[in-house]
Amino acid sequence: MNKVLRIDMENLSHKWENVKPEHQTYAGRAFTSITLSEEVDPTCHPLRAQNKIVVSPGLLAGTLAPSSGRMSVGAKSPLTGGIKEANAGGLTGTKLGSLGVRGIIIEGAPPDSEDWYSILVGKDKCEIIKTNDYAGLGLYELIGKIWKDYPTKPGIIGSGIAGQRLLKCAGVFGNNIENSDPGRYAGRGGLGAVFGSKRIVAIISDGTGGTRPAAKDQEKFDAARKVFVKSLNAHAVTGRLNDDKGEPFGGLKNYGTNVLLNILSEAGGLPTKGFSSGRFDKAAKISGEAVHDLVDRTKKKFGDKAEGKYAHSCHPGCVMACSNVVPYEDTGKMHVSPLEYESVWALGANLGISVLHDVAELNRLCNDLGLDTIEAGNTIAMFMEAGLIPYGDGPKSIELLKKAYDESSVEGKLVSSGTQTAGEALGVTRIPVVKGQALPAYDPRSIKGIGVTYATTPMGADHTAGYTVAAEILGIKGTVTDPRDLKKAELSQAFQATTAYIDSTGYCLFIAFCILDDDDGFNAMKDTVDSFLGQDIEVTSYGKDILRKEREFNKKAGFTEVDDRLPEFFRTEPLPPHNVVFDVPDEELDEVYKNM
Amino acid sequence: MSADSLEIHLYGRLRKLVKGSRPDEDTVRTLEYVENETFEGLIDRLELEQSDIGDCFLNGTLVKPKNVIPKGARLGLFPFNMVLLCGGQHLKGHGYTREDVDIDYYR
Repeated sequence: MNKVLRIDMENLSHKWENVKPEHQTYAGRAFTSITLSEEVDPTCHPLRAQNKIVVSPGLLAGTLAPSSGRMSVGAKSPLTGGIKEANAGGLTGTKLGSLGVRGIIIEGAPPDSEDWYSILVGKDKCEIIKTNDYAGLGLYELIGKIWKDYPTKPGIIGSGIAGQRLLKCAGVFGNNIENSDPGRYAGRGGLGAVFGSKRIVAIISDGTGGTRPAAKDQEKFDAARKVFVKSLNAHAVTGRLNDDKGEPFGGLKNYGTNVLLNILSEAGGLPTKGFSSGRFDKAAKISGEAVHDLVDRTKKKFGDKAEGKYAHSCHPGCVMACSNVVPYEDTGKMHVSPLEYESVWALGANLGISVLHDVAELNRLCNDLGLDTIEAGNTIAMFMEAGLIPYGDGPKSIELLKKAYDESSVEGKLVSSGTQTAGEALGVTRIPVVKGQALPAYDPRSIKGIGVTYATTPMGADHTAGYTVAAEILGIKGTVTDPRDLKKAELSQAFQATTAYIDSTGYCLFIAFCILDDDDGFNAMKDTVDSFLGQDIEVTSYGKDILRKEREFNKKAGFTEVDDRLPEFFRTEPLPPHNVVFDVPDEELDEVYKNM
Repeated sequence: MSADSLEIHLYGRLRKLVKGSRPDEDTVRTLEYVENETFEGLIDRLELEQSDIGDCFLNGTLVKPKNVIPKGARLGLFPFNMVLLCGGQHLKGHGYTREDVDIDYYR
């Protein structure tokens, strides 16, 4: 994997480059963030020609390492104004990995163009194709059309209606393995709008003629990946579907990430009705267990015609299979795929909506429009905070979101423009954002360590940037006392650095469930990376290098420590049922990056 | 139900402790309060094994075996395969999902 494809949209040209010698160990987030930090002026307007889009498959994408086919997308974010990386499964990471493409760098923009383009990447080839017929389509229709035009079953990523209109709620969509849903989103940061600014609808990755990337030490790599698979399969979270008695075993395979909804609600950390409570009394109705039950019931009713699934893989070679296909109850046909914890929270509990069908429909609309579900859910909450829609009203929320199809609708534009923009326009003072990006599904008042991550990560409020939740949950009340003096800042920094490493390998972040519990699993994971590269990589220092570059980019873009804070209401409004506020001192927040 | 009773919210496999329970509704069992009963005592009273249990909560805070259950408590019981996602069982130190914990950061 040693080629970089550089595309200039100003003159619609491309060239192939070799990976720079000093970039040999960089892929995924490391490649996107370091390229941006070296090549993009941090003060540029994110939706004009000076910004760049960088796409990079994780280091191990395309290999037989389990659950390693993820891909990163990076750019200066129109939502946060800082550096951004978002990653996703789907097909593109694996296809690019097998084609030997380390990264795609897209620069410039067609001057005064009204045309739309797509980029076809294949083995030793690239074409920039005028595709005006792809623009303005709903994404379910678009991915179907592309697979008809390109029968080789390519990976597809790009922008939907929202991104093409340069709206900040826009994510980068991706098709799933079956091409039945565009729901594999690198969702956060409004990166879909950067595609729109460069007049790009889709990047189409045709893996024909590709080969499996070879490790520098293939024998060690193969041995390590086998140990890692065994470790993942044995773990109660990441493991096999059923136990020997046929009872549900692996939490992720059975209930998906949405296994968390009931747990966070019980822990008092599930933001409910616009971050006004930490517990949702109707969580069970939209939980992972409810989806599991719906799939089973529709299978029983419709037999072979039922399309609902759990234990569904988000990318080829994923052994954890936490994705799902949620069916319509009355037909058994696919409604949306996947329906994940963050989306169920953003479009369900956060809005007080407890009808599973309504939550799935909102998710499907986001997928079709090209919207990030977390940002869209928080944006709808602003309409509820402003009293324009009652909390809990699913049909009215659906009606609002459908206005986003209409280019002349101001409400449609607003609901696609992100939480901060909508909140300010509607006179809301409780706007849950950091660096302009909406908070995800863990309330920082009852789970303070994740609040430290939200506040300090260069990405804007982002749970995946340093997921301290399990380690923090015991610190809900009072001071955490521990024999190793592990402070919140240190904890968040350690998780942020490890996450940056994992985001660069192509591994799904969820391998952490297993590797943090099982030394054999951790060592095997690290061995796959080291044997692939032929050198020993120190996990934390690799991650910290990335964080330093990202932090430096944001500093040059104008960010200061003042931007590393949560909104005021988290410090002043106690959250039931624990009735706590976010009281981590500013000095502790500043510790995270002080000595990195 | 008396104000002193314990309210046990059950999830996943543990719902079977309540007949007719559904996975898309709250499954709640009430038990009488027992003075000085610990969480492991309560698990015994429910005729569950320690290995059946994942992350469990006492009034919204992760509970450990020796914690004493107060009057009127709300308990949330999750089975072994329903735990907070991110691993780190060794960080929690409750000894359920993984018994050979060597570090308890939160004693």
